[in-house]
Amino acid sequence: MIFANILCILLFVEEILHSLAGHSSLSGPGGHDWRTPVDCVKANEQCGADSTCSSRYRTLRQCLAGKDRNTLLTNKECQAALEVLQESPLYGCRCKRGMKKELQCLQIYWSIHLGLTDGEEFYEASPYEPVTFRLASIVSVMDLNSSKENHCLDAAKACNLDENCMNLRSQYISTCTRLVTSTDSCNRRKCHKALRQFFDRIPSEYTYRLLFCSCRTEACAQRRRQTIVPSCSYEDKEKLNCLVLRRLCRYDHLCRSRLADFHKNCQMTFQTRTQCPNDNYQACLSSYSGLIGFDITPNYIDANISSITISPWCTCKGSGNGEEDCERFLKDFRENRCLKNAIQAFDNGIYVNVSPKKPSVPETEPPNNSQKTQESTKATIDSNSDNVSVPPTCINIQEKGPKFNMSKEHIFCLPQTDIPMLPSDHSGQESNSPFNEKSHSNRIHSTSALLAISFLTLKLVL
Amino acid sequence: GRAKRARSQKPCSLKELEVTVTDLGLGYESEETVLFKYCTGTCEAAAKHYDKTLKNMRKNKMIKRGKDRPCCRPLSYDDDVSFLDNYHEYHTLKELSAKECGCV
Repeated sequence: MIFANILCILLFVEEILHSLAGHSSLSGPGGHDWRTPVDCVKANEQCGADSTCSSRYRTLRQCLAGKDRNTLLTNKECQAALEVLQESPLYGCRCKRGMKKELQCLQIYWSIHLGLTDGEEFYEASPYEPVTFRLASIVSVMDLNSSKENHCLDAAKACNLDENCMNLRSQYISTCTRLVTSTDSCNRRKCHKALRQFFDRIPSEYTYRLLFCSCRTEACAQRRRQTIVPSCSYEDKEKLNCLVLRRLCRYDHLCRSRLADFHKNCQMTFQTRTQCPNDNYQACLSSYSGLIGFDITPNYIDANISSITISPWCTCKGSGNGEEDCERFLKDFRENRCLKNAIQAFDNGIYVNVSPKKPSVPETEPPNNSQKTQESTKATIDSNSDNVSVPPTCINIQEKGPKFNMSKEHIFCLPQTDIPMLPSDHSGQESNSPFNEKSHSNRIHSTSALLAISFLTLKLVL
Repeated sequence: GRAKRARSQKPCSLKELEVTVTDLGLGYESEETVLFKYCTGTCEAAAKHYDKTLKNMRKNKMIKRGKDRPCCRPLSYDDDVSFLDNYHEYHTLKELSAKECGCV
């Protein structure tokens, strides 16, 4: 009886060890752990080099061609192909905004993921890598000696004085304002393309200032609204239904991906203080600017300085029984506190030193700014974080890379949740930051070592 | 004119100035700041036999008119400059700034 028990325990221990070994071997090859997902173009090359993977991938693509998900899943061969691919690097691959071959990368991503998800889902998973750099790094390079009058004018000045920014800005402006003589209107397709180039290639320290400058006068707010040349890129003779617009967007891999990314990063949540996922404003602003130059291009609907309203050029009229979905879709733009807070925090972060009285405050929680120090102006977004109970995590930017040209004493203190989180299955508190994640995996190793020792001891006893 | 030219001994080169669009004096009203790049400097070193001969001819009253020295001028112009005016309209200016200077 006792012997049988020991045998049982031994078998159990062995199983655990096996599963642990299996785990580590998964993340082993190629040195890619979950923190840096392989890009899909590379993953595709890796799959192409492996005969099993490449044949399954071919099968799956044939399965998907012209069929919906349900027919796919009833076919055994297709199902088997899908299961094999879920183990390959293709399954977890991601793309980067503005990368070389971005479209190719996204095509590969959707070729698998359209088979995994129901195409009619309201929100889709984003094919883009999580945004990891912080708003702090942007704000730190901006000069604070600007005119108090019109921040949008200052933003235009900053762009004009940078050769690349000025060239690409002039390029989209001239493209979007040039009238095609035969139709007496602009070439929207070319205008959108020029806008995409501007927002993908110019550093966000310039583009965000133009898009999200804070305004106290209507002239300023007009300028902000005009940033994307809305007469060509945004407005149209009539407004389409928003769900129709979304369907149009989903036909295009790029637009579909940008929209999924916007929904992932700007999705309003009541679980964080800022109402943004992981309190990450940067990610939200980044995916918002990623929508500009597509069918779904959003913009300020007017030059109102007291409240910001953002919307794509669409309406929920004529939704029929889709009205609920349509309203929900539109609300993610028009009544999105996360987006509004991110835009306002960006303003406040830059100009906190210049304007003692803030023109506007985030709608959710008026931040307590009475004890502003110089440090907190540099620590940016977190004019708001002073009154938060979350213990701050301080990051010395100097350690993160030499490209920030700053002296050592600039230490950024952010609430712990501000450190970008990456998708992970274990949702314990430890997994909140990549730094802790390391210790987490270390712990797995030490546990496995412990188990191995106990296993050996047991074997010796026997 | 001559005295001024004599004072600035620097050879012909590209210079920059930050100005508002209104200051350009082209009739546009906009407070947007742009970078105006222009050519300035002397071209004495660049004098060719042509210039020298022309000068002598003029001195000897054999020719009445003619510019006897090379000028510092743009050899090529910068890309277009676009801006938003005070009435919220965009404009694009071609060949506003110099890109490269030379004595011609």
